[in-house]
Amino acid sequence: MFLRYGLKNILAAKKRTGVTLLLSICTTALLVFSTGFLQGSHMQMLKNGVEIYPGYLQISHRGYRQEPGLDHLIFGVDGVMGQLTDPEILIAARRFETFVLYNGEQKSVGGMFTGIEPEKEESISRLAQSLKEGVYLKKTDTNTVYMGYELARRLAVQVGDEVTFVGTGADYSFAADRLVVGGLFRTGLFDFDSQSAFVTLAYFNEIMAAENMATHIIVQPAHVEVAQSLSDRINIVLDDEYRSESWQETMAPLVKAMKVDSIFNYITLGIIFIVIFFVIMIYTFLTVYSRTREIGVLRAIGSTPNQVLALLLSESVILAGVSVVVGGIIGGALTYYFWQNPIMIGGYEEQFKLYGLAASAMPTLFSPYLILRDMGIMFLLCVGSTLYPIIKVNSLKPLEAIHHV
Amino acid sequence: MMNDFVRIEKISKIFTPAKGVAVAALQDIDLTIAQHDLVVLNGPSGSGKTTLLNIIGGLDEPTQGQVSLAGQRLTGMGEKEWSETRRDHIGFVFQAYNLLPVLSARENIEYIMRLQNRTSAECAARSLEVARKLGIEAVLDALPHELSGGQQQRVAVARAVASKPRLILADEPTANLDSKNGNDLMEMMQRLNEDEGVTIIFSSHDPMVINTAKRSIVLHDGRVVEG
Repeated sequence: MFLRYGLKNILAAKKRTGVTLLLSICTTALLVFSTGFLQGSHMQMLKNGVEIYPGYLQISHRGYRQEPGLDHLIFGVDGVMGQLTDPEILIAARRFETFVLYNGEQKSVGGMFTGIEPEKEESISRLAQSLKEGVYLKKTDTNTVYMGYELARRLAVQVGDEVTFVGTGADYSFAADRLVVGGLFRTGLFDFDSQSAFVTLAYFNEIMAAENMATHIIVQPAHVEVAQSLSDRINIVLDDEYRSESWQETMAPLVKAMKVDSIFNYITLGIIFIVIFFVIMIYTFLTVYSRTREIGVLRAIGSTPNQVLALLLSESVILAGVSVVVGGIIGGALTYYFWQNPIMIGGYEEQFKLYGLAASAMPTLFSPYLILRDMGIMFLLCVGSTLYPIIKVNSLKPLEAIHHV
Repeated sequence: MMNDFVRIEKISKIFTPAKGVAVAALQDIDLTIAQHDLVVLNGPSGSGKTTLLNIIGGLDEPTQGQVSLAGQRLTGMGEKEWSETRRDHIGFVFQAYNLLPVLSARENIEYIMRLQNRTSAECAARSLEVARKLGIEAVLDALPHELSGGQQQRVAVARAVASKPRLILADEPTANLDSKNGNDLMEMMQRLNEDEGVTIIFSSHDPMVINTAKRSIVLHDGRVVEG
């Protein structure tokens, strides 16, 4: 009975209903879309930050991160690779990173010299996808170097040119050779593009006397969500001198930046919600107070305080339910659209790079769970904002309510 | 027991405003009203008629004294108990009708019965029966604002009567009606009193209402001076 009576009240007060619905629908849609956009931009940050090169999981010597150098290598890397049998491991690839001096015809520049397994890297990093000129590395390449576009620019070399390098071998011997620039890549991360160059691991091992050694093993989990748990499991099987770290640990600054970004976004949303909460509350106050006499009559003719509460709450629940569903559908549709067709923000690439974003495309994240969660939050917000006015008016004595002006 | 259906003992009501002097609206009222009676509380404005009616119906609390209905002490009950007592035993007719604006005449009449969890069939049959007695069966589907003042007051009476309360309290029911509608209403109330055996207490200073009543209790300055 109260539901039907409540529905009649809602339909009778068209203006009040219209304003309340409009306000709540817009807020719900805004929340759903904002969350999708926030999560989407974070996913993009994560993908850029992690997938371009570092990978979701790194295995290295315990001392390597604090003191990168030849004393903290993974010795007997084949044996360690043999220990990586967890079914959640999609692929594992070895890398050997060291610093060398590159010499072009006119300039010399210091940079990172890394031996990689080209075919495995295609599944782990975006090196191959970042090809700008020339060709990506092949397994059979020898002294072909795949160089960052900015590093090539600094050395004033192009595809097909020769560069030499001078460095220290894994056994602390002198290492040098002539390389041919086979391809140039551009990830969008300026520092990375201006310092990195890659050769095949086979060639690297030979020239740097690094057989069966590596600085890292990069592991690609079957699902990115399991990176941390997989890392924990790998740590159990690894020898004590080596450790596995997930992207949350290796990219702690990025994780922190994402958290800070989330906090600021939620603070902004929180301020918006507080304003909307009070707008709905004040509006409900006005509309419920305008019905004080009616509420007094309901009590005088036999409705208990709880029944009146149920009636007023049923109106609030109907309005909140309708607005949350409609707002959720609108917000969800927008999120879905921009998930499929990412928002393009041009002209800010340099600023984005500071935050690890290498692309100006900003897809939203379409997640039914997040949409339902936000709809639930908005439902509670809408109903919650009406509670105080309802309880306040319902606490009046019937006679006070009937005589209320 | 029949003669003590409503028992009012030593009821006083003092209104104490935040600023100003306390006013005694009722002073040491002792009354008993018999079952099936048709009583009018009569007196000039400010004599305490409405206050006494409100105290009997639990809409207001006495400063002292107590009210009993059919031997059951009502004074001191909580809000929930009062609501249930009004729902099951007391019908109210207000001077300003006070119909629920979004409900049709039929839904207004059925409202209290619905609170009593009666079946839809029961509610429909009873609302039609009462509407026929009060001559409003043709307007049952109309909303209150579509009805005349006389029709609205009949719907209000029908709402008060339909749930078969033992007591009806009517506060100046004819005050907003013209003499014809007022007359008609009183005739209907008289008939309901006879047919349904319901005890009715009016507050009024309308001579027509006073003449219709079986018993007239005269109040003056918050005291019973006659009846």
